[in-house]
Amino acid sequence: MTRSLPRRLLDEILSGSGIWPAVPAIVVLLVVAVIPFAILLSLGFSEITVARGVIVSQDFSLRYLTTALTDPLYHTTFQRSLTLALMTTFFCVLLGYPVAYLFLIGKPWVRRVILVLTIAPILTSGIVRTYAWIIILGGRGVVNSVLLDLGLISAPLRIINTQWAVVIGMVQVHLPVMILPLIAVMSRHDRRLDEASANLGASRLGTLWNVVLPLSIGGLGTGAALVFTLSYTTFVVPQLLGGGNYLNAATMIYEQVVYSLEWSKGAVTALILMSTCLIVLLIFAWLTNLGTRWTRVAQR
Amino acid sequence: MNVAADVIDMKTGAPRSAPVVDIRGAVKRFADLTVLDRCSLSAQEGEILTLLGPSGCGKTTLLRCIAGFLTPDAGEILIDGKDTVPVPVNRRSVGVVFQSYALFPHLTVARNVAYGLKMRGMPAAEIETRVTTALATVSLTGFEGRYPSQLSGGQQQRVAIARVLVLEPRVLLLDEPFNALDAKLRGSMQMELRQLIKRLGITAIFVTHDQEEALTMSDRIAVMRTGKVEQFGTPEEIFDRPANAYVADFVGASNFWDGYASGGRVVLPDGQTVATGLSGEVRVMIRPHNLALRPAGPQASSWTGTIRFRRHVGALMEYEIGLDGEHGLRALALRDGSTASLAAGDKVSLTLRDAAGCIVFPRS
Repeated sequence: MTRSLPRRLLDEILSGSGIWPAVPAIVVLLVVAVIPFAILLSLGFSEITVARGVIVSQDFSLRYLTTALTDPLYHTTFQRSLTLALMTTFFCVLLGYPVAYLFLIGKPWVRRVILVLTIAPILTSGIVRTYAWIIILGGRGVVNSVLLDLGLISAPLRIINTQWAVVIGMVQVHLPVMILPLIAVMSRHDRRLDEASANLGASRLGTLWNVVLPLSIGGLGTGAALVFTLSYTTFVVPQLLGGGNYLNAATMIYEQVVYSLEWSKGAVTALILMSTCLIVLLIFAWLTNLGTRWTRVAQR
Repeated sequence: MNVAADVIDMKTGAPRSAPVVDIRGAVKRFADLTVLDRCSLSAQEGEILTLLGPSGCGKTTLLRCIAGFLTPDAGEILIDGKDTVPVPVNRRSVGVVFQSYALFPHLTVARNVAYGLKMRGMPAAEIETRVTTALATVSLTGFEGRYPSQLSGGQQQRVAIARVLVLEPRVLLLDEPFNALDAKLRGSMQMELRQLIKRLGITAIFVTHDQEEALTMSDRIAVMRTGKVEQFGTPEEIFDRPANAYVADFVGASNFWDGYASGGRVVLPDGQTVATGLSGEVRVMIRPHNLALRPAGPQASSWTGTIRFRRHVGALMEYEIGLDGEHGLRALALRDGSTASLAAGDKVSLTLRDAAGCIVFPRS
């Protein structure tokens, strides 16, 4: 018995066989990621003439790429972005890991408190949280007032509109993204292993270093990759806490596209941002893989 | 060879050689639940001791107190005469083999075994020698580079044992170490482990809920119930002279026959008598193998019943016999010609094989 093609297609879709269940996601990805990326690519590698908001001619050109690769402004900007992102990642690991460890060793109520405190900030917009830092770090902000009242300083410190203000803001905004994957790993951690370690003579620190840390490399890698990606490409925090003249890659793209309307320039900058981000992520992934090699040994 | 005489202090009558592990009135409570209730036990040098009881009896809690994972609320746990309570868990000379083995999944077999030595800051060359020896002891030479996930359950258990033995602990604690093994492997591992512990002369404390395992492994058994030690003695004492009905029921299958004692004896339905110091309402424990079955016939005793069902137990056959107005009795017989014809529904008569094998408890 032969059935019509539409009928067979419908059957396949309804039975969820083959690639059909993935089709909606593939369509969404095509529309929102692959096609825009292709357009971006074509913009970055061509000379375009726009007349009355419509592209009238588009010719292949490497001009924008060579400019970007040779211009010292690009070098310093990308260096700044990279430093900022790596610093943010570093401080997020430094501050996030102890929280995750506390989650591991804490009583149930401690765990609940940590979860609430970690998730609550995510429910608030990043812009609101960043504005809060302006109030805290400003010339008459909480930090300066306290330091002045204590007599530790005689004049307000200039914190806002410096790189440190940006780092502080970035760490605060991205810390939950570091902590959540770590907590996911910690909640699966077998505490018997810690007991075994102690029984074999390890101190708490020894157990942390030799057992807990190696077994949470996966969460650490995921968290670090997320924090790095978000802070390397971030736009809001540097814009608000850096005082408007803090130029990183994302703010550079924003200026090129929105202010100077140089779409090709912006496209090239975005491509460089994406590819350098990918390179760093590959390094992260490689390091994480090194640390989790034991999970991929041949099973008996 | 009896050495007991010269290790007894003539003045006090106490053993002169102090026990390796001495638990004195240990109490542990979780919230308002008393998990350990004044437990007292001791293990002598080289002795294998078993804490036997159903889940929730406090045996694992007691083990965790000895290891130092828990601190008793009252009482003392002495190792070589010294109180362990102030000693932190990583400074106790106590090796634990966990129920799930708790091998470090990210370390190879060799590095798992080397872990404790590394924590003690031993030079690498010496660690290697000791690890090699320890792995040879548990017949795992050649498995150094494997990860725990690449080992069978039995091999994992042996790594867990090598990992603590390499540290030469004063006391070895084993928390249901055979639970994760299949039945056939379990038997051979039990024998093997007992021989290994005896060869090395280590004092060991086992935790199990399996009475057969306890009888196989131990020099002495502590039968526990709801945080209390019900009886502490050799396997023979526990099995042949249980201190109370609970121990009798938990260790080995038992029948309980309710009767009435007077004049220093109880008369069983088949006419035989069991001597007792008790009088009044009593409960007589009869092991299933102590009951003989015969097809009910002219020469039958007055103790008769009907076979409810029969069950193959290896070389033996177990029968459940329903009696009139009473709960059933279990009888165990060798599978031979005399019982082969017996099947469910048959009328049988019961006789006691050996009245001395029965124990009389007061009925409470």
